[in-house]
Amino acid sequence: MAANTNTIARGEPLLSCRGVCKRFGAVAANRDVDLDVWPGRVHALLGENGAGKSTLMSILAGRYRPDGGVIRVRGAPVAFASPAQARTAGIGMVHQRFMLIESMSVAENVRLAAPGARDADIAALGERYGLSVDPARLVADLSMGERQRVEIVKLLMRGADILIFDEPTSILAPAEVEALFSVLRRLKAEGRAIVLITHKLDEVLALADDISILRRGRVVAGCLTLDQAPGRRELARLMVGREVLLSVEKPPRDCGAEDETVLAAQGLSGLDASGRPAFADVDLAVRRGEIVAVIGVAGNGQDALARCLAGLGGGTAGSVAFAGHEGGRAMPAARWRGARGLSYVPEDRHGAGSVAAMSLAENALLTGQADERGGPLLDLARGAAIVERAVRDYRLKAESPQAPAGSLSGGNLQKLILARELAAEPALLLAEQPTQGLDLAAAEDVWQALLDLRSRAAVLLFTGDLKEALSLADRLAVIFRGRILDVIAADDPTAIERVGLLMAGVAAPATADGGRNGTGACA
Amino acid sequence: MSPWSRLRIEPRDRALPPLFSLGLGVGLALLLGAAIFAGLGVNPLSAYAAMAAGAFGSGHALSEILVKATPLLLTGLAVALAARMLLWNVGCEGQLVMGGVFAAGCALFLLPPGAPPLPAASAALLCGALGGAAWALVPALLRAWGQVSEILTTLLLNYVAVILVEHLYYGPWRDPAGFGFPGTAELPAAAHLARLWPEALGRVHAGLPLALLLAPLLAFLLARTRWGFSVRVIGLSPGAARYARLNVPARTLAVLCCSGALAGLAGAGEVLGIHHRLQEGLAVGLGYDGIIVAWLARGNPLAAPLTALALGALFVGADQLQTNLGLPASIGQTLEAALLLGYLAGEFLARHRVAFGRAHVG
Ligand SMILES: Nc1ncnc2c1ncn2[C@@H]1O[C@H](COP(=O)(O)OP(=O)(O)OP(=O)(O)O)[C@@H](O)[C@H]1O
Ligand SMILES: [Mg+2]
Repeated sequence: MAANTNTIARGEPLLSCRGVCKRFGAVAANRDVDLDVWPGRVHALLGENGAGKSTLMSILAGRYRPDGGVIRVRGAPVAFASPAQARTAGIGMVHQRFMLIESMSVAENVRLAAPGARDADIAALGERYGLSVDPARLVADLSMGERQRVEIVKLLMRGADILIFDEPTSILAPAEVEALFSVLRRLKAEGRAIVLITHKLDEVLALADDISILRRGRVVAGCLTLDQAPGRRELARLMVGREVLLSVEKPPRDCGAEDETVLAAQGLSGLDASGRPAFADVDLAVRRGEIVAVIGVAGNGQDALARCLAGLGGGTAGSVAFAGHEGGRAMPAARWRGARGLSYVPEDRHGAGSVAAMSLAENALLTGQADERGGPLLDLARGAAIVERAVRDYRLKAESPQAPAGSLSGGNLQKLILARELAAEPALLLAEQPTQGLDLAAAEDVWQALLDLRSRAAVLLFTGDLKEALSLADRLAVIFRGRILDVIAADDPTAIERVGLLMAGVAAPATADGGRNGTGACA
Repeated sequence: MSPWSRLRIEPRDRALPPLFSLGLGVGLALLLGAAIFAGLGVNPLSAYAAMAAGAFGSGHALSEILVKATPLLLTGLAVALAARMLLWNVGCEGQLVMGGVFAAGCALFLLPPGAPPLPAASAALLCGALGGAAWALVPALLRAWGQVSEILTTLLLNYVAVILVEHLYYGPWRDPAGFGFPGTAELPAAAHLARLWPEALGRVHAGLPLALLLAPLLAFLLARTRWGFSVRVIGLSPGAARYARLNVPARTLAVLCCSGALAGLAGAGEVLGIHHRLQEGLAVGLGYDGIIVAWLARGNPLAAPLTALALGALFVGADQLQTNLGLPASIGQTLEAALLLGYLAGEFLARHRVAFGRAHVG
């Protein structure tokens, strides 16, 4: 067996599981899982949404207790009663959902994990690994990428040598992914063992030494080495249990809907959540029948821009006009509070997009409550219908519409939020990182749903994923330091190159048909 | 090595069912109470026997439990409602007192002489609810638009309410024909809340069915209406409330005022149903007891009638201890505190396991 030869070739695994099981009520999240992790190697753990990856890692990190099975660290059996015990054994995990206290500074958060760490130590360690974050800054003010760096610094400060990363790249822009990967390579070279959960095949192929695949809680392929790994397509099939295309067909735009502008922002400037200027002079129009992607490296003001356009405040100057609201007249940004027909999929699915303690059916009714129409009663039947449609259309895995949202896996929660916002039949869908954390099959379903919606409505997509933007969008608006540098038609043959340069802040010469007014080709 | 050094407290993956923590809490409270009795030099068993006999030994005692449970249920609902939005209304005492003041004022000065009983009593009750709501209004406004902690403001207003009511029945509202006793004149009979069945149920009045009706109504409001849903979302996740564009200040105002109105009803019930005048004995802690009723019921309005009854029984039983065994009058409050501590410990044990020795693979 492969595992045996591996063992001989590499000596003892740093961490190994045998027959690990974990149930949540009726759901078997892990069944008989075997896993070996070696020092100086990256072990990629793959599997569809709800396969049990996060559960398994939470067991290793001491957050859950297994129902059965043996876990060995450096050959000795362990049974962690708490994350603290796992940390003592050298295991550290960066969770899918960060575990930072927002109202505290970076240094204070690090000290919670590694008491006695001095600001200078934190800064020096950050410098050494390319993880620099100012220790004095408040976590609430940090971007997702910076928060992730704080999480990693916490682990390294404690000297963890078994490092678990649960979908670290799903919240990062391409450049940040590269930076993270060089950190991971460096940690690997130091002889640490790394477990990496991801849904992205490129990342697996770029970084993994060993690959295990979970499906419905079981290992369907264990500890393949990279050279044993089947091709991309087969790997994808193993991950999700069905054929995936790895791409979508974008039908040409229907120009009948031309000029029907749904959302138009003019000279829009605004602040981020902590009140600092985040974007300025943004002109952006989205028409029915098109998908416009706002793309940029995380931290360039796109979060604040999305919030402001969605009507959650922050606008200081400029205007927003929305078709069907006050006759489509432009209104001052400071007064823009959203309108019927505008749906918003927020990036923060745990803290904003859902309520963990409420049922799925109730979560399906979360938006639309501010709306004065509709009777006084809560239409739970409609909520349950939305959940059931998500189960059917997006393969949402849930026990029942009555299950709490907190019991969903990360990807399944994302599916529920998308299903809810699409069910409102919006005139404009504003989606932030809509496929973040989704497995390949689910991402494909969502892409298809967005393209379907495009035929009826307008879509404004905020994404850090250039490939996603290019394959879905008709036009790409590149944001850099809070300004839209250019709007480029996706079918412009030089689009990739120009967008890439613009994202880094390098202005590229405009081509004849591109530029700010690029419209995308019509049928 | 001492056994304590091997003591481990670990969180459970899933909390034990609520009935378990309740049973555990009651058990711990009984133990704690027993220790207190022993400390006072009384045999715990005979003390508990005296309490049980006092609370359940006679028809009169049973009816008194219902009498006590009526305001407890209303203030319990008041606390539970606010708590659903993470608002801590610790001002039920003051709101209750102001409910009594408004109800008495209405009965004494607003009702036309000869008004028929049903409209008269209803008007007085309504005024009581308004009084409670009015007393919660300023804390609500300060909290909704000024981010001023409602814990502080509602608590401080309790003292103001007590001083105000004393001023009224010692001063301007004192009965001129009352031989100098502090208190208003008796309220007109039409404003009295009807006693349900005086022969069998003693002082139990129409406030009890009203309170029992309000409990499921509140539960329905919270669980099944869009308004209640928005209240729960705000309480559970401020981030989601912002995202869903819920009007948090408006809900804060409404919830705190409704909470005050419930407490005001409790006071109106006491004045219109029991005392029949404004006098000493209104501010006896029923508002604070509501906090315990709500906690024991885990904020669930449907469970509040049971916890209000349990607390009522405890108070009636404790009265017996005072008369029969000569224990101090504060023994009721002491046992109430034991009950809360026991409950909190039970909750903790439902979420954590306590074990000795090394961890093993389970
Ligand atoms: N606390 C919990 N209570 C109940 N069920 C749970 C809980 N945590 C996880 N589950 C269930 O266990 C299964 C595995 O969840 P897990 O989070 O491990 O999936 P995952 O592989 O990490 O998925 P994703 O890629 O979407 O993050 C899911 O069906 C999920 O609904
Ligand atoms: Mg997960």
